[in-house]
Amino acid sequence: MKMICINCPKGCELDVEQAADGTVTVTGHTCPRGEAYGRSELVNPTRMVTGLVRVAGMRKPLPVKTRTAVPKGKIDAVLFAMHQATVQLPIRIGDVIIPNVAETGVDLVATANM
Amino acid sequence: MKKDAIVVGAGVVGCAIARELTRYNLNVAVLEAGSDVAEGASKANSAIVHAGFDAKPGSNKAKFNVLGNRMFEDVCRELRVPFRRNGSLVLAFGADDEAALSDLKARGEANGVPTEIISQDELRRREPNVSPEATAALWAPTGGICCPYELTFRYAENAAANGAEFFFDAKVVKVERVDGEWRVSCADGRVFASRAVVNAAGIHSDEINNLVSDIRYSIRARRGEYLMLDRDEDGVFSATMFQCPSKMGKGILVSPTVDGTVIVGPTAEDIDDKEDKATTYDGLEKVKAGARRTYPGLPLGKVIAEFSGLRAHETTVGDFILGEAPDAPNFFNAVGVESPGLTSAPAIGVWMAETVAKTLGVSRKNPSLVSKDVSWWPKTREMKPAELAELVERDPSFGRVVCRCEEVTEGEIRAAIRARVGARTLDGIKRRTRSGMGRCQGGFCTPRLIEILGAELGLPPEAFLLSRKTAPKSLRKAVGGDRGVENGETLDVLVVGAGPAGLAAACAAKEAGAEEVLVVERDDAPGGILQQCIHNGFGLHRFKEELTGPEYAQRYVDMAENLGIPVVCGTMVLEIRPSEVQGEPISVTVMSPRGGLKTYRTRSVVLAMGCRERPRGALMTPGTRPAGVYTAGTVQRLVNMDGIMPGKRVVILGSGDIGLIMARRLTFSGAKVLACVEIMKKSSGLMRNVVQCLNDYDIPLLLSHTVTDVEGRDHVTGVKVSKVDDNLKPIPGTEVHYDCDTLVLSCGLIPENELTKKAGVEMDPKTRGPKVDAKMATSVPGIFAGGNVVRVYDLVDWVSRDSEIAGRSAAEYAKGVSK
Repeated sequence: MKMICINCPKGCELDVEQAADGTVTVTGHTCPRGEAYGRSELVNPTRMVTGLVRVAGMRKPLPVKTRTAVPKGKIDAVLFAMHQATVQLPIRIGDVIIPNVAETGVDLVATANM
Repeated sequence: MKKDAIVVGAGVVGCAIARELTRYNLNVAVLEAGSDVAEGASKANSAIVHAGFDAKPGSNKAKFNVLGNRMFEDVCRELRVPFRRNGSLVLAFGADDEAALSDLKARGEANGVPTEIISQDELRRREPNVSPEATAALWAPTGGICCPYELTFRYAENAAANGAEFFFDAKVVKVERVDGEWRVSCADGRVFASRAVVNAAGIHSDEINNLVSDIRYSIRARRGEYLMLDRDEDGVFSATMFQCPSKMGKGILVSPTVDGTVIVGPTAEDIDDKEDKATTYDGLEKVKAGARRTYPGLPLGKVIAEFSGLRAHETTVGDFILGEAPDAPNFFNAVGVESPGLTSAPAIGVWMAETVAKTLGVSRKNPSLVSKDVSWWPKTREMKPAELAELVERDPSFGRVVCRCEEVTEGEIRAAIRARVGARTLDGIKRRTRSGMGRCQGGFCTPRLIEILGAELGLPPEAFLLSRKTAPKSLRKAVGGDRGVENGETLDVLVVGAGPAGLAAACAAKEAGAEEVLVVERDDAPGGILQQCIHNGFGLHRFKEELTGPEYAQRYVDMAENLGIPVVCGTMVLEIRPSEVQGEPISVTVMSPRGGLKTYRTRSVVLAMGCRERPRGALMTPGTRPAGVYTAGTVQRLVNMDGIMPGKRVVILGSGDIGLIMARRLTFSGAKVLACVEIMKKSSGLMRNVVQCLNDYDIPLLLSHTVTDVEGRDHVTGVKVSKVDDNLKPIPGTEVHYDCDTLVLSCGLIPENELTKKAGVEMDPKTRGPKVDAKMATSVPGIFAGGNVVRVYDLVDWVSRDSEIAGRSAAEYAKGVSK
């Protein structure tokens, strides 16, 4: 399977194949992160989700992210949870806004001081 | 940051000294432990300008009282502070008191203060509300009333206008003599070097003196409790009504104030805790009883506030201790300045400044001194209707009353926050505008005040509810002061722009040895465009981890703060003028709502203005010009910073990275992105963004297509998209119509170089930025450039890297330039 690595601006073209016994081989990468990406993209594709959470009493929203990548299939559920939330200030970078967001095992954290 | 003179304490005495010091060619800083000026005795006292008849002849108290009293008309006119010479009366209740009046009169004569003893009849004629028990009185026509915190604030404003810098929340904990100069350390770790130190720390002035001198002083807090009566009582007395003084002070007085209220008090009680400003049941009872002796009709229903203040009573000398400490060269004391301290402050300021300047051997006057208050704002309450109408027409915020009791408008409150030494707390607003000082004591206006504070200072309103007097931590930076301005010292490196490029350059310059580095930013907060780039993908190279834009920006904001680099926000650079003589400083003219126009002198400049987006006009898209057409960066700002969704059905023209990122963002926020249309055969944005922003969400990328018509009269209703041939010409018959309400343009970025060109820097037609060498030096000596202003980068990591080179080169260059 051909794919483009999303780790850096280079955008290496990867070729990722899974043999009958389950072993995955990645070619075309130029760094270890690329190989890991190829493997994960085939078996369990994941993405960081960044977004916005409402702040009580303010128009300006708080930017947030999942602390690590979450399965692609969970993005909608993460966004839903994000849009349901309202936070109270003050908030510092790294504060947990929703622990274990959408049952992903990953925390949603603030990415700005407000 | 080396100073000529550091004043410790921003009370009326410290601010008067600072202002008078700025008359000389001196670099002045004021360090204050509180979050504002007038946080000690200057905010809570009787507000009396004493005539000076009762101080012991020959004492400093007598000398400075009399000198200060004479200066009040001029000082208050210059600084536009209300002052009234209403005269004062000392009441006698019976024969013993009448004898005391004669003693006071004699002392007055010794001090050069005119007084006159008047009879009971004359007293009652002048002051009909006075107690019939009062048998005679001593009349002192030169007594007056003034607003002590307004005077303090205006002194500070004027000092700041003349270049003095104010550091708040700067509690001095150590003063040491190192290599022939003073090193002053604060509790939070800030350290200042100075040739001279002036100790005007009020109630804590003994502690500051005892840090450096073996001649020890001891100050006891002498608490005074007061009551304030509603404006309804205005006019009940015309003079300030004293009773015969005791050794503890001048007794309970009843006096009009310049604001139309009536002040009653104080008690005098020596206490151990120098911070205990609580009022007490017993104390307030004493105030009431004492006041009733003068004013039997005292209406307790008219009390709007009770408060207490602490006088700095020195117990070993008992007088003002003024001048250089005998065993500490260039360390000057203003210790034990209690009553009549307010009256004496103008005279102490002048005398102290003269003494400091003479000791330092400085006789040259500050050539650009402004003696008048330049940041005064109108008090709508006192304006004539016609004037007010005109003002409101010019600025409607002066027509919105926020404090209904004292009739204070939003315009006044905003002006008080925007002042040089601006309000950063509820108490700060109160003392500068009287908002919250009236009969409801802030009941109605507090919610509005925190909202305005929040909006003006870029913080959530509730941050201002944590303390009435301590400013939120993020606001703790130097205010006032104009380092590098005309008469000030020359900067080493001035950086234009506080985005990732500018901050990286500033930090690198500082680390490379540049001492005076200043960053000027046109936005209200540092961080640049990264603040709105809330997606991830930043910092893998620079920080070896994946960050979002605001996180990446914050790393540099923190770095600059830790290096002590001042970032002046809300300030636009208008012109950079290289010197005509090689090796002489560069002039940089800036404008800001607070500081107006001013010019910095700097040895080198780093350009870091970033880039801007190509607008619709540059694309020559045909059709109407309705609302609903935005550049991708504008949409990013609206959605991510302002919480506004511009539309529901979106077409994106161009496949620049910001457009791709916004395709995903708008999808996340509930919009339908119909297509991303790119005229070229491949995406202009990075493939990784095509994958994770378009492909992941099944948004079609139409290559070799362009928008050939924009429809809609008022607002976009749709667009036509056509295929283009190899010459990028639309192919007739291929149009497809999309119903949409928003067209987002993402057609690339252009370096922002208006300033660069005006400075005479040679440009590179290919990058559209300045031509630079390997050291990031432009064609003009002393001017360097870094980041997207040079060329548009793919990665902020490389922006930081190259800007750091620019910063280091600028620091290196600055070393070779004269003052």
